[in-house]
Amino acid sequence: MTAQPVTAESFDLVELLPSRRNPAQLRPWVVFAVVVVVAFFALILSRVWLDRSGFELDELEQKIGFEEARLRDLQLELARLQSPERITAVATANGLVYPQERIAIEVPGIDFERLDPDFRWAQLKVVLTAQP
Amino acid sequence: MAARRKPGEARLLVLGVVFAIAWVGIGFRLVRVQGFESEEPKTRGELQRVRHEDLSAPRGTIFDRDGVELAVSIDAVTVTVNPSELGKPRALARLLAPKVGVPRSVLRDRFTKPGSQFAYVARRLEGSAAQEIRDFVEEREIAGVYFGTEPKRIYPAGELASQVVGFVRDDDMVGLEGLELKYDEVLAGVPGHQIVERDPYGNPIPQGEFILEPAQPGADLITTIDREIEYAVQQILERALNETNADSGTVVVLEVGTGEVVAMATAPSFDPNAFAQADPTTFRNRAVADVYEPGSTLKVVTIAAALEEGVVAARTTMKVPGKLEIGDKEYTDVDHRITERMTVAEIVARSSNIGTILIQDLVGNRRHHQYLSAFGLGRVASGDLPAEAPGRLEHFSDWCDTTCGPSTAIGYRVDVTPLQMAAVFAAIANDGVWVEPHVVREVISSDGARQPYEPTERAVISERTARTMRRLLKGVVESGTGWRAAAPSFTVGGKTGTTEKFVPGEGYSEEDRIASFIGIAPIDDPRIVVAVVLDSPHGETEDESDLRFGGVSAAPVFAEVAEAALHRMGVPPDVR
Repeated sequence: MTAQPVTAESFDLVELLPSRRNPAQLRPWVVFAVVVVVAFFALILSRVWLDRSGFELDELEQKIGFEEARLRDLQLELARLQSPERITAVATANGLVYPQERIAIEVPGIDFERLDPDFRWAQLKVVLTAQP
Repeated sequence: MAARRKPGEARLLVLGVVFAIAWVGIGFRLVRVQGFESEEPKTRGELQRVRHEDLSAPRGTIFDRDGVELAVSIDAVTVTVNPSELGKPRALARLLAPKVGVPRSVLRDRFTKPGSQFAYVARRLEGSAAQEIRDFVEEREIAGVYFGTEPKRIYPAGELASQVVGFVRDDDMVGLEGLELKYDEVLAGVPGHQIVERDPYGNPIPQGEFILEPAQPGADLITTIDREIEYAVQQILERALNETNADSGTVVVLEVGTGEVVAMATAPSFDPNAFAQADPTTFRNRAVADVYEPGSTLKVVTIAAALEEGVVAARTTMKVPGKLEIGDKEYTDVDHRITERMTVAEIVARSSNIGTILIQDLVGNRRHHQYLSAFGLGRVASGDLPAEAPGRLEHFSDWCDTTCGPSTAIGYRVDVTPLQMAAVFAAIANDGVWVEPHVVREVISSDGARQPYEPTERAVISERTARTMRRLLKGVVESGTGWRAAAPSFTVGGKTGTTEKFVPGEGYSEEDRIASFIGIAPIDDPRIVVAVVLDSPHGETEDESDLRFGGVSAAPVFAEVAEAALHRMGVPPDVR
């Protein structure tokens, strides 16, 4: 092992460091210092990233709130559009009138005992589709 | 001899002492602020950043039986200004006035009020209207205009079932009428609370303090109301009021077997979206809040009791005199003045008062009262509507020996609601089983738990008696006083009712009548019961029939309602 020449520039450092330690002995300290610095910056970066995520989260929550409000508005609009009063007014304006006479048609193959109108419509469609 | 100090050393010493004193001062202050006075600056800082915010619970929705909204809450936009921040308040008032529908002078006064820092521009605007103002303000970069949200209750179907649904107070969304009132606690939910740190712009500070106690949204109500039948009923009722010159009217459509109220309409009606402008007398749900003496429609209970007790049969023939004097009262019939022989079926079809009184005499007061009570009279019919009247049914021990039994037999001395009477006929339609009528089918809480309404039910008369009663009621329409109730596509049965209107403080009115018709359709395979009650109809029909009678004014309304409701329900016609 040979001693390093002491220069004027490194004089102060040499003064501060233990005089008989070689660079190999210093390495763990250097590594430790680097780790500390890296950890410090990593911590800063993670905080920044976390803060940014927080803002993004907040933005997304606002967006969800906005979309939920829009959904409610659309549901309301749908309910208004389905209002019998509105439909009647539009139908009347277009010249539609209530039938004066209702005619019941009995179609063979349809189970009239079933009171569910949707079921009977489905059966009627089947009967009509089967027509030549 | 002491060494002389260098000239700079003294200055250094002074400086050191000064610094030392300064550091001691700072240290002292630091210890004091951090140690002894830390609470005050901490609180001040928290007040600036940490906000305690109440979270309002969204009010539950009221649906019809098909899941269409009858009452819904939205986050409406409220526009406010800080007048002290406005550059040109008068110009802004001029530009905003037409957009928010507020007179320009009103806005100008609000914006120029000295010292004011807050003024409303418009409250509870809906989506597009609010967006228009927001765009306007942003385009022109107008400072001092702010947008916030406030809950708003909207009734998309307008006047439809308005007395059933009711409405809420705008400011605090508290239910004031109808289901909104009765189910207020269920619909309202539980408000939440949050503690959050915000920056000066109101944005939450990430990693800041955040404690959330979420609001629990109100439960939804699924009603039994069919919106399309309700609309048809309302239209028919309003037309009937015009044609019969009645003061008001109400119609109840009950589903047989389930007790579900398919439609409940009262006219005149009101729009709950603008209830402040409506006549408050129209808020009353007359189907449950108004009581009346049912007259001949109550004869079904007298006859059913007699049949059930076996004191008469449908074919039993009785000698019915032209008039009957009991105590100081003379009872007569409308269509005969001499003694006639009538079967029980004819007594019902012709709505004979005297024949019914004779039958009631065979039943006796005690047993008669028993049946009236079993059919649900004298107590609230349903538990889910507010302001429901129990009506009046005196205990038989309080009945007088002379006219009390006879008058009760023909529907006087008993006060009922239209809903109670509809339930009586529904029991006859349901093979003698009385089912509690109700408007709410189920309550769905915010966590999705469903709580169906379970109506009470009880057997009142036997299936055989119920079947006989339906045959008698069919006769009323086929050959009796209710012939105008005949529906084109369905066989129906029912009973007419006409009573002199009792005016408190004046007694029975000479002119005004309560006209009613309550019926079952189709009578051979009952699906619905329709009760029609008209208050004070006047005038005559084209064939000069007196509209004050239930068979003339209310029966045709029944026919129209039954026809519309059964078609909507998909019931096949039984008249070919």
